[in-house]
Amino acid sequence: MKLVINELRCKGCNLCLTVCPYKIFTEGKKPGVRGYVMPVLDRPERCTNCRLQKLYQRQLCGMCQTICPDQAISWVEEKPFELKKVEIEY
Amino acid sequence: MTLENWYRQDRLPHIYCAGCGNGTIINCTLRAAESLGLTLENTTFVSGIGCSSRAGGYTAADSLHTTHGRALAFATGVKLVKPKQHVIVFTGDGDCSAIGGNHFIHACRRNIDLTVICINNNIYGMTGGQGSPCTPKGAITTTTPYGMQEQPFDLCSLATAAGANYVARWTAYHVKQLTAAIKTGLETPGLSFIEAYAQCPTAFGAKNKMKQVSQMVELMRDNAVLKPRADEDAARGIPLAPGKFVVGEFVRRNNPPLGCEVKQ
Repeated sequence: MKLVINELRCKGCNLCLTVCPYKIFTEGKKPGVRGYVMPVLDRPERCTNCRLQKLYQRQLCGMCQTICPDQAISWVEEKPFELKKVEIEY
Repeated sequence: MTLENWYRQDRLPHIYCAGCGNGTIINCTLRAAESLGLTLENTTFVSGIGCSSRAGGYTAADSLHTTHGRALAFATGVKLVKPKQHVIVFTGDGDCSAIGGNHFIHACRRNIDLTVICINNNIYGMTGGQGSPCTPKGAITTTTPYGMQEQPFDLCSLATAAGANYVARWTAYHVKQLTAAIKTGLETPGLSFIEAYAQCPTAFGAKNKMKQVSQMVELMRDNAVLKPRADEDAARGIPLAPGKFVVGEFVRRNNPPLGCEVKQ
C-alpha cells in the first residue's frame, strides 16, 4: 500500500503534521496544482498502515486520514515491481 | 461499501476554509456509520443552517437542508414517518443553542431516537464571526470587540438536564474517541447528543491570536480534561481551571424513547 495526498483536495492546513506518530508529513515549500502549499511525505514507507494493512486485514492508525478535514489522504494499491519495456533505438 | 462511497464525490473538495474542523467531524461521523454497517438507503442526514450544516450536503445518503435552527423539528418528522431510518442531525452551536434552542430542549425531553452532532466552533462562522451563545467569556468576535461579557452555554449539561439518553463531548482533535462516541450514539435508542468542539481558524482563531490551525488544535488537546479526572477533582474540591473544559461521556441511560409504546 502507498500513502498519497490528493492534490485536488488538499488545502494545506498541515493538520496531518500534528497527529502523525511517525512524523511522515513535513511542511512543504512549493505550491501544488491548486496553489496550496501541500505537505511533503518523508519516507512514507514507514507508515504502519502501509506496511501492515494487508497482514491485519483492517485499517491501522489512520489518524491522518480521520483528522484530514479535506478527505485528501488515502492509501492506494501499489503495483508490484514491474519490468519496464525499454525501446531501444538502433 | 467503502468509506469513500459515503462522500458525495461530485461536491468535493468542500467549501470549508483550510483547517476547518467540520471536515474532521464529517469524517468521524461517516466512519462511525460505516463501521456500524449502515447503508445509504437507511440513513438520513438532517442539517440546519451554518457552516456545520453544510455537512449533510457532502454525504451521499439522503439529506435534508432545513431552515435555521429547525433541523431537529424536521428530523422528528422524518423519524416519525420512517421509524426504522437512522437519522443523524448536524447542527452548529448557533443553530442548535441560539435559534433552535427550544427545539433542542424539547427534542431532548421527548427523547426521540435521533443522533444529534453539534459542531461547536464557538462562533457564527458563516455570517462573519458574530458571537454565539457558546463563545467563551472574553473572546473577541465581530459583535464583541472588547471581549465577550456573557457566560457561555454548556450544551452537554443542558441536554443532560432535558433528558437525552446519551450525552458526550469530544473535540476535533480526539478523532478516535469522537468516532466511538458517535457509534455509541447511533446504537443507543433515544436522543444521543454529541457535542464536538471544532476549530474555526478564519473567524475565531484570527481574532483571538490563533492564526495557525495547529495552535487551535493543540489548545483543544491541552485544555481537554477527561470526565473521570474532572469528577475526581470535583470530589476533592478542586475547581476546573479557567479555559479548560471537560470531555468524555456525560450520561448514558435507558429511558424509553418517543414512540416505543406504539411500536410494540
